[in-house]
Amino acid sequence: MRLLILALLFPLLGHAEPATVIRATELKSAPATDASTVAQLAENAAVEALERQGGWTRVKAAEGEGWVKLLALRYGGPGSAKKGDTGIAQIFNVARTGSSGTQVTTGVRGLDEEKLANAQPNPAELEKLNHFAVQPAAAAGFAAKGKLSAHEVEYPK
Amino acid sequence: MNRLVWLIALLIAAPAQAQFKLPDLNINKLIDTAKGVVKATREIDENEEIAIGSDVAARLLGAAPLMNDLRVQRYVNNVGRWLATQSERPDLPWHFGVMDAPQLNAFAVPGGTIFITRGLLEKMHSEAELAGVLSHEIVHVVRKHHLKAIQKGALAHLSAGAAGAALSNVNSEARNKLVAFGTEMYSRGLDKGDEFEADRLGVVIAARGGYDTYGLPAVLQSLQGMNAKDSAVALMFKTHPAPGERLDTLAAKMQPVLDSYSSQPQLRERFAMETKAAR
Repeated sequence: MRLLILALLFPLLGHAEPATVIRATELKSAPATDASTVAQLAENAAVEALERQGGWTRVKAAEGEGWVKLLALRYGGPGSAKKGDTGIAQIFNVARTGSSGTQVTTGVRGLDEEKLANAQPNPAELEKLNHFAVQPAAAAGFAAKGKLSAHEVEYPK
Repeated sequence: MNRLVWLIALLIAAPAQAQFKLPDLNINKLIDTAKGVVKATREIDENEEIAIGSDVAARLLGAAPLMNDLRVQRYVNNVGRWLATQSERPDLPWHFGVMDAPQLNAFAVPGGTIFITRGLLEKMHSEAELAGVLSHEIVHVVRKHHLKAIQKGALAHLSAGAAGAALSNVNSEARNKLVAFGTEMYSRGLDKGDEFEADRLGVVIAARGGYDTYGLPAVLQSLQGMNAKDSAVALMFKTHPAPGERLDTLAAKMQPVLDSYSSQPQLRERFAMETKAAR
């Protein structure tokens, strides 16, 4: 059981996640198009995705380690276990709410279709929402602290 | 539109006819109905949009409350407000809220209210990823995707007179129906085209705000790795095109913008610190 939980938690910890390349792709030595090519990966080649940097993801392939274009990767490679309803969300829910396993199987607390269909207005929460709002000047200061600078970018045609 | 003009013309012409052939027809009611049609099909002004949005937001908060953590709420408001300032509607009363729900989802409400769930927040790795999702939602508001869908629904589901009343009369029974309909819309989803547009233009908003543009694609990739049958993503997958399809569309249409701004900050550390309460 513990092994199973560890296996399910694995992807969340930011470690390797099974993935496939959706087209023939060059495995690069660095996250840049002009970096040297480590190997040629065939379409549907299985890799382990490790970390992202901009539009690039560092992967471990049979041919070695390197970087591929993020958009050429799809997670959940062939043979990788899909995380079903006994998966991550449920385990985290148990951990967070401290509820027993039997309670979890009767339904996850939170937001689903039924809740949306039967929702009644909650003015107290709306009041809180208003209280959390931030003015543009404060947001600009926050952006500057993160070294974010605004610039003009046109919408694509 | 032509058909509408005819309908109105017919209704307005009705009184003359009524005098001779339809003595028991309620002429005043007919005229009111015609006025209602006009009201329900005209453009909803900004104050009405904000008022409708506020009613819908209150309902959504009835479905799931806010996370009780000032730090994470202020953080998401800072990121969101900064991005909204880069949009075509910077002066809306923008509000951002983290809902306390384990499911992965985000909602854009007319008038400038945006919700993201704790479940989605904890799946993210950086401020750039948060910015990617918030930018997508900001586009829904800027382009009035939900507002237009609500208006369309009002015309389809309410009588013309009631639709007009629902838009302008805050305390009417019709208004209640309209808001309930507007809330349920988040179970049905928008047109696929609206979602793809929000992805494309969202990438631009994130770029304008100075963020690494691959935030949204990275989140889509995480979602794409999840099982669509997992109850945590069931509703979001039902109401959006498949993440893989969204990634393909971004790759086809947005590669130049994505790559031009991909070295902007991701802010992983700030994100981890400020969202501690959510994970």
